[in-house]
Amino acid sequence: MSVSRDDFSIAFRSALLQRGGAQKFSVLSLIFLALIIFFLDVYGIKFTKPVRSFLNDVVYRVTFLASTPTRFFPQVGKDISSFFNVKEENERLKLELEKYKSLELNVEFLTDENKNLQKILETEYFNKNLSNIILAKVLVDKNSPFLKSIIINKGTRAGILKGMPVTKDNYLVGRVVETNYLSSRVLLLNDLNSRIPVTLNEGAQAILTGSGTNKPVLEYLPEDYEIVEDTNIFASGKDGIFTSGTPIGVTNTDGTVDLFIDPNQLSFVTVNLNVQYKGKL
Amino acid sequence: MAKSSFINKIFNAGPLILLYYLCISEVDSNLEKIFEIFTLNFQIILIYFWVLKRPDIMANGHIFFAGLINDVVMGFPLGISSLSYLIVIFVGTYVRNKSVNTTIASDWFTFFLAMIFSNILFFSLLNNFSDLSFTYSKIGYNMFFTLFMFPIFWLLFNIYQMTFIGNRDA
Repeated sequence: MSVSRDDFSIAFRSALLQRGGAQKFSVLSLIFLALIIFFLDVYGIKFTKPVRSFLNDVVYRVTFLASTPTRFFPQVGKDISSFFNVKEENERLKLELEKYKSLELNVEFLTDENKNLQKILETEYFNKNLSNIILAKVLVDKNSPFLKSIIINKGTRAGILKGMPVTKDNYLVGRVVETNYLSSRVLLLNDLNSRIPVTLNEGAQAILTGSGTNKPVLEYLPEDYEIVEDTNIFASGKDGIFTSGTPIGVTNTDGTVDLFIDPNQLSFVTVNLNVQYKGKL
Repeated sequence: MAKSSFINKIFNAGPLILLYYLCISEVDSNLEKIFEIFTLNFQIILIYFWVLKRPDIMANGHIFFAGLINDVVMGFPLGISSLSYLIVIFVGTYVRNKSVNTTIASDWFTFFLAMIFSNILFFSLLNNFSDLSFTYSKIGYNMFFTLFMFPIFWLLFNIYQMTFIGNRDA
């Protein structure tokens, strides 16, 4: 009995302290080092923030370079297939153009009407300062089962601050949750940690909650509310982060939302520098 | 002679290069985009196998460093992936010290223990010390598929070891 206990303790100690050969560090020493780094990072001691920010900038750049082959080959495939579909695409685009021309007149009318109504309500016209919107390239889009986020190539140097809303083609994509000097992390709408106050076509209010899948879910809808398929969802702007009226997606009958922008297909996004949430994110 | 030694070094470094590449690149070790519930922690399979079979080609320091890179890329608190990888190394080394001859079944079972300890530490630290939230079903799927895929990778790595590295025990 005592022999087996000795065996256990020898094997246990050896596994923790063994060095030599290729092993220059023992597991125990590295565990202590990892714990120290972890607590320094979690409790955000003053000097760790710039160090982490510098590390992030460097690693994101290296990740971008290392991922180039994985981005290059699918893009080549897409380019080749689109080359052979040029004629079809041209005809489709002509039809779409006609459709949008007719819609433009409607939009012009509605914009004027909207401006006039906002003047009456004495509210701020939300799109008055478009010069404060910057374009950013997606550096890293690593798909994790637990965290849905992207890294963009603009940081505090470009004026990006935590909480700023991120859009693509005027559709909401997410918000900035981490800023470095040259890069930022954007939390996508489908991340589990994402909560956004939204409004439905008919004016009903709800919270759009990330589910970890591609389809976020509507929560806290009014009692007895029946979800109609293909209802448009907009940011309500009640949180002070997102501009009210920014389109997000359309509903499904099961309460999930099909986002207008596929979170897995982002290459360029825009950041609205006008808005910043002051609270805890 | 010198050329073959260089090629051997490249083959020996293969698993480590793969680990670094998985941690730093955009390449997904989970196929969530194809099959929604399929997520896989490929890094711990890689670490466990090589720590068990050939610890001389998978140095602790490198694994620790790869964990730090993984944390930066994924947006986790620094050191958390390193800690979980180190737990896998610890269990692997312990099993290696205690056993004389291993089979795929014994490796599979001990890998299950290593994965359990490593994930308990990872998610309890994440739960208590960060604002990140996660669903237990996702963790469950991740653990299930990682465990399920272990024998397949065990065979692939064995073939790689026998073909390019040799069966020499460290």
